[in-house]
Amino acid sequence: MLFVLLFMAKPCSASSGDLTDEDFSKETRFILYLMGRGDLDESLFLIDRLEPSGMHQADSLSYLGGWVLYMQQRLEESASRLLNVSETSPFYHKSRFFGAYNLAHTGNTSQASAELSAIRVGGGSMHEAMRDFQMGGVALLERDFGTYEHYQQGFSGSYHVMAREESQMRLHYDKLRDNPPRSAFVGGLLSAAVPGLGRVYAGKAPEGIVSFLYVAAMGLVSYDIYRGRGAQSPCFVISATTTGIFYIGNIAGSAAAVRRSNEEFRHEINQRILFDMHIPLRNAFN
Amino acid sequence: MKLISAFCSICIFLCVTPLTEANDSRDAAKWMTRADSLSGEAVWFEAAIAYERVYYLSDDPVLRVKANLAKADALKQLGEYSRAADDLQRSLVFPGNDSLRLEVLFQLSLCTYLDGDYSGALSFMGQLRHTTDSATACPGSDLLEGLVLSAQHRWEELREHLENWLGQHPRGRLLKDSLVRYYAENYLAGAPDPLPDPDRARLMSTLLPGSGQVYAGSAGWGVLNAFSQLASLGAFALMAYNGYYFASVIAGLGPFQAFYFGGIRQAGEFAEQNRNSRLESFRAAVDIFLLEVSDQLDS
Repeated sequence: MLFVLLFMAKPCSASSGDLTDEDFSKETRFILYLMGRGDLDESLFLIDRLEPSGMHQADSLSYLGGWVLYMQQRLEESASRLLNVSETSPFYHKSRFFGAYNLAHTGNTSQASAELSAIRVGGGSMHEAMRDFQMGGVALLERDFGTYEHYQQGFSGSYHVMAREESQMRLHYDKLRDNPPRSAFVGGLLSAAVPGLGRVYAGKAPEGIVSFLYVAAMGLVSYDIYRGRGAQSPCFVISATTTGIFYIGNIAGSAAAVRRSNEEFRHEINQRILFDMHIPLRNAFN
Repeated sequence: MKLISAFCSICIFLCVTPLTEANDSRDAAKWMTRADSLSGEAVWFEAAIAYERVYYLSDDPVLRVKANLAKADALKQLGEYSRAADDLQRSLVFPGNDSLRLEVLFQLSLCTYLDGDYSGALSFMGQLRHTTDSATACPGSDLLEGLVLSAQHRWEELREHLENWLGQHPRGRLLKDSLVRYYAENYLAGAPDPLPDPDRARLMSTLLPGSGQVYAGSAGWGVLNAFSQLASLGAFALMAYNGYYFASVIAGLGPFQAFYFGGIRQAGEFAEQNRNSRLESFRAAVDIFLLEVSDQLDS
């Protein structure tokens, strides 16, 4: 944060406009103080009220606003501000990487990938390695294994800020490759053969057992009535129809359970990928 | 040359630092006026920021405490009692005069009370009492302590507090006997006791279905639950008698156990709701009485 202050004070001395350099510097120091206290709404209010004169002030405000929104978990708005920071700013790389990460977190992976590709980095630099690592993470989020493998070749482990996460990313890739999504159709088919088996296939064994028990119980009630009153009895017709509805419902439910299970797996692994994309950013830029 | 350069640097540092501090103090005073003006216009959010700026800029401990207190007022207007209390804690170690310290402690108690932390409020009230014995030193503190005791349902302690409060107040001494008697007869004697006990309600419903709900004050639900259990048991017996053994177990005993155990849980919940509702109504009545007492003393 001290660096932030130094940056704000230095370039402002060359700027001109309504807001004097000294006022801008004072205001940003107060905003940083508020941010440090956790008064994020207040910080954002002051940032939005400031009218920058010159590109450096505009960059500083975009960066600060984006950072406050990032702290408030308003990631889309944060990305749009962070990605406004120009290339001349000392916050350029931090803003770009965090902006792209925010986009990836909100599910906008294609734009995240485009923003990462556009980052200017020096050959062989840590920023280049970071860009490749983030691009690899985004490719995994998109389940684009070919692209991921391309970037994985650049995972050298030579930068301590991301060495551990590079190996974690390889594990995520292996897990994704070894666990392709289950088929909802197969789940439904299994439940048609044995009620509840489709849910067991989806990895939800307790739900499968319960489903089996209630369909079996309803079947037994129907059999009981059939035994006592015969197939023509209205009671049997009602009971058998109800059992049939539950049986078919269980098939549909099993297919839905497989889809839900796939979604849960997808969500969980995405969260881990995002977590491992985030840690190197925090290590490198904070 | 190096020595001259170092000497100049030191001189600049020594001159610039006090100048900067003087500027900050001037700015703080200016912002205080601005914050007061915003507060007067009821622009609470901006006023809170402006007061925080005064706290940030000023080196004067008294001005900082005043800004902090004023900010707490603005935050109270915004309903942010917890933040107001957190901010006020910064001024607890203030070494200045007693009246400001008392005001900080009182506001801290008030914000904590408004935030629903009654134990915390009582703890700050204790500090306030430790700082001063004089009730007149901090007007409103007796009323607040009464409200806190009421919120904690400590009715007997509230009676003792009422006696002390009225005894210390010049006008209260005349009213003390009548008001304390009024409280004892109209409130303390009628305190909602015994209140429905959720555990007892559950036990009653375990032994006699529906009785727990009746005890908790929901007789209709009790009758309905008892009838549902009887009906499901009857269905079980009837189906078993006619030879529908699977159906009797699944369609008779299944609903019965659901009604039975559900009834036990429901009785506990009703007792809890009834208890809370009666306590809150009683507390509201006592709070109104305390506010009336305070009005009488101030009039």
